[in-house]
Amino acid sequence: MAELLLDKRSRPKKGKVWPKPEGATRLREYHVYRYDPDTEANPRIDTYFVDLDDCGPMILDGLLWIKNNVDPTLTLRRSCREGICGSCAMNIDGANTLACTKGMDEVGNGPIKIYPLPHMPVVKDLVPDLSTFYEQHKSVQPWLQTKSPTPDTEWLQSRDDRAKLDGLYECILCACCSTSCPSYWWNGEKYLGPAVLLQAYRWLIDSRDEATSERLDYLEDPFRLYRCHTIMNCAKVCPKGLNPAKAIAEIKKMMVERKVA
Amino acid sequence: MSAHGKKGTGTFIQQRVTAFLNIFLVGFLIWLVVSLAGADRATMAATFSNPFVFVLTLVLFASVLVHMRIGMGEVIEDYIHTPSMHKLCMGLNTAFAVIVGAIGVLSVLVLAFGG
Repeated sequence: MAELLLDKRSRPKKGKVWPKPEGATRLREYHVYRYDPDTEANPRIDTYFVDLDDCGPMILDGLLWIKNNVDPTLTLRRSCREGICGSCAMNIDGANTLACTKGMDEVGNGPIKIYPLPHMPVVKDLVPDLSTFYEQHKSVQPWLQTKSPTPDTEWLQSRDDRAKLDGLYECILCACCSTSCPSYWWNGEKYLGPAVLLQAYRWLIDSRDEATSERLDYLEDPFRLYRCHTIMNCAKVCPKGLNPAKAIAEIKKMMVERKVA
Repeated sequence: MSAHGKKGTGTFIQQRVTAFLNIFLVGFLIWLVVSLAGADRATMAATFSNPFVFVLTLVLFASVLVHMRIGMGEVIEDYIHTPSMHKLCMGLNTAFAVIVGAIGVLSVLVLAFGG
């Protein structure tokens, strides 16, 4: 049965209010989810105050300022700080996005509420366990598969065929879309989710790939593909502006065409 | 990457086809209900004796019930994960559609042929 409430052990409680930085005149309040698996304590929401005169404009800048100046135990993933690596995906002010590309001025004037990506096991603080997500990505075999003899140079593709990959290849696998999808919340182990299905479509539509039939065979399943109910949260939150729901609809179209052909 | 559970698309097609049919069939149902509002049994029997109305009503039952069963099945697939409860709910869902369909068809047959 789907669980609509967190178990008691996982419900966040009010946490520590950290002191305001001395002498700061422009402050921004951060409410950050904290969870340490090494303790028996429930998760808690800590309050921090960021000195805006000593910090960059993005949410990630604020989190790193907290980590460097206030609380070094705050744990988060980050790498490129420019929306390419997808590491700093988290739930900010109720929507999944990348902390590095979301400005503090984009989330109103109140406290900035920051949680890990929803409905995933939490490793620590803002770090979710994405093992299942990566396994699912691996399961669609996201690489070029061919049966024809390998050409002497590269596999060629027309400009029109290459254009079909636009809106697909840009996915950075940050998991914002999948973890915003209610269908993925309820059936995350069986439904592949929007990010993985977008990747699956990226290879299905690639003119150079010759494993289309096998790829469709794999997706022919009531759960792997057909748990998508076109809720559209995926397209709404994608920090790269992609539309996984459209990719999923295209896969369904390919399935139907194959079935009725 | 192995093929597994070869179904899903068939149900998807059924769901889409019945959804499309239901747009017209529910329009027909509304017309039927409005035109028979306040009518006596003899008028109703005469209406359902019309082959056009009779056949369309049976198609309406089939399309709506198939669509309803698929829709509720999707909800069960989404939220009921305990195998025994899942099986029970799926069985009840099918039984409900069959019973409602049987009562509906029987009623129309009685009206059309029994007067």
